[in-house]
Amino acid sequence: MSIVIPPPPDFTSHEEEVPEFNSGTSSRSWYHYVLIVASLLFAAVSVGFIGTILWNAWPEITHHSGTLLTKNGWQSPLGPFGGLAMIVGTLETSLVALIIAVIIGLGTSISIVFILPRRFRNIAATLVELLAAVPSVVYGLWGFLVLAPWMLNTVIPWLNSWPFAKDIWGNPGQQDGQSLLLASIVLGVMILPTFVAISREVISVVPNDLIEASLSLGATRWQMIREVILPTAKIGLFGATFLALARATGETVAVALVAGGVANVQSHLLYPGTSIASWIATEFGEAQGNEIAALMALGILLMLLNFGLSLISRWLVGRQRKVLAVV
Amino acid sequence: MSEIIELQEPVETGHQMRDEIRQISDRVRARRQIRSRIMVVLCGTAFLISAVPLVLLLFQLFDRGLPVVLHTSFYTQLPSTPTLISPNATGGVSNAIIGTLVLTLYASIMAIPVGVLVGVYLAESDSKLAASLRVISQTMAGAPSILMGLFAFSFVVRDLGIGFSALAGSFALAVLMLPVIIISSEIAVRGVPHTLREAGLALGAKPHKVSMKIVLPAAVTGIVTGIILAMSRAIGETAPVLLVIGGGYINSWKPLDPVAALPLSIYENAKSEWPSLRTEVWGIALVLVVFVFVLSLSARMWASRKQQAR
Repeated sequence: MSIVIPPPPDFTSHEEEVPEFNSGTSSRSWYHYVLIVASLLFAAVSVGFIGTILWNAWPEITHHSGTLLTKNGWQSPLGPFGGLAMIVGTLETSLVALIIAVIIGLGTSISIVFILPRRFRNIAATLVELLAAVPSVVYGLWGFLVLAPWMLNTVIPWLNSWPFAKDIWGNPGQQDGQSLLLASIVLGVMILPTFVAISREVISVVPNDLIEASLSLGATRWQMIREVILPTAKIGLFGATFLALARATGETVAVALVAGGVANVQSHLLYPGTSIASWIATEFGEAQGNEIAALMALGILLMLLNFGLSLISRWLVGRQRKVLAVV
Repeated sequence: MSEIIELQEPVETGHQMRDEIRQISDRVRARRQIRSRIMVVLCGTAFLISAVPLVLLLFQLFDRGLPVVLHTSFYTQLPSTPTLISPNATGGVSNAIIGTLVLTLYASIMAIPVGVLVGVYLAESDSKLAASLRVISQTMAGAPSILMGLFAFSFVVRDLGIGFSALAGSFALAVLMLPVIIISSEIAVRGVPHTLREAGLALGAKPHKVSMKIVLPAAVTGIVTGIILAMSRAIGETAPVLLVIGGGYINSWKPLDPVAALPLSIYENAKSEWPSLRTEVWGIALVLVVFVFVLSLSARMWASRKQQAR
């Protein structure tokens, strides 16, 4: 997965202390120009990042955007290229993963901040950070070689042993046990540290006055958490949720290994499916001409989804800071 | 406090009433305490559950990976594809180890100077450019890594005509590392106490001298921490290099040659049908995880040493 970067402090709100760079009458030094050049280089890279992908996707976007957004089925190598299966798969896996990660992650961050003995807190935080540091392909490997056979040999036979089970969910379990559900579980494990990192920060900055006030009124520990901490930190927790969702949508190789890679709209979580990012990764090697353009167009779609979610997340975390500044 | 206290019977004397109320309030308090205990235990359980994958994963890694990594041929030999005649021939992963080092090295050379300079600029300037670059770098830091691969493919491989190469892969990784380095450098530079800067300015030093000779040395631990974190992220990424490095089967340090990489070998060996490759893959994963953990733990220790020094 990736290193979790907690959102940096809101620098814009307290700018009064920073002396203006190169203020006054001194002429602009070469150092200033070096900084400007580096910044422009970075700006060029980020414009190029969006620009080149958009440029390469343009033929497909202008001619076949309807097919890409609404049609099922990917006819390699000539098309038509329908992206609905990938879009639906991305949403399904990320949302289920999000549910798993939020339920477990909220409990984890509450434990780290309020419940664990003080000397264990640092160790626990390090553990969660290590969870974030494990590369995503290793999670994929673990899901593919350990969890998938387990699903195939244990979980699915157990599910099928229920009465009428086969009528409800058919007979899944082909494809080495790969399924959308397995992808969601692996994704959930992968986005858990992201959610915990942000929500832990959000929870731990709730002012001590509020906590002490509620405890002194006789609230139990859980009442304090439910009536004071969670409402105060609500906006920031939503921010953490959206950031975790953004991470889940962009996860590539792990999903490619455990989802099964079947481009078919699949509402059933026990069947194999795919996601946008993993579809790009698996199909790009053999793609030619129009198919490359179609994959780039899927990439643009993923970019819009991801950037939108992370902007919402950053806005929410920023609002949380303002709320706390008032309290 | 959702419980409503209801007195069912009319109470005659003051003593009776007091006892009644005390009993009820004891009951309510006990109920609240029990509920609190239950929820606290549930939260603790959630924490334990979140540790389960890490423990299981590490156990599997060492259990299955250690026998593989104890052979020296694993580090020194090139991979050999198993065939029906010799199904156990796997060779080693020397090309992938060298490839990962090469990719990380070139990506760091590209990303570190630009990243640190942009971070310093963001910390010291209030211009509109700085504000928009801050938003861009934060957005890019969370961008799906596969998009870096698409970018490197269309720009380096196709438009520049360089082809599948270590250069294209390290370009993709550099784009991935840049925002991380920028953000952490900005935070590090902002964290330098203003008194230091003001003391320098008051002594008559030019602003750029103050920035270079006073602020940067004071911020260097934070900057290095960010760089190590960015490197540990880049080492483990598969998706961006998957599209552009070409998967070379030779040991090569040249930027224009196709190279292999550890994460990519994991991805490909895991999908292969040969049991011998599926055994070997745990060794590769163990080496990669050890690489990444050493880097990120050293970044963490470095950062905490900085805090102690303050």
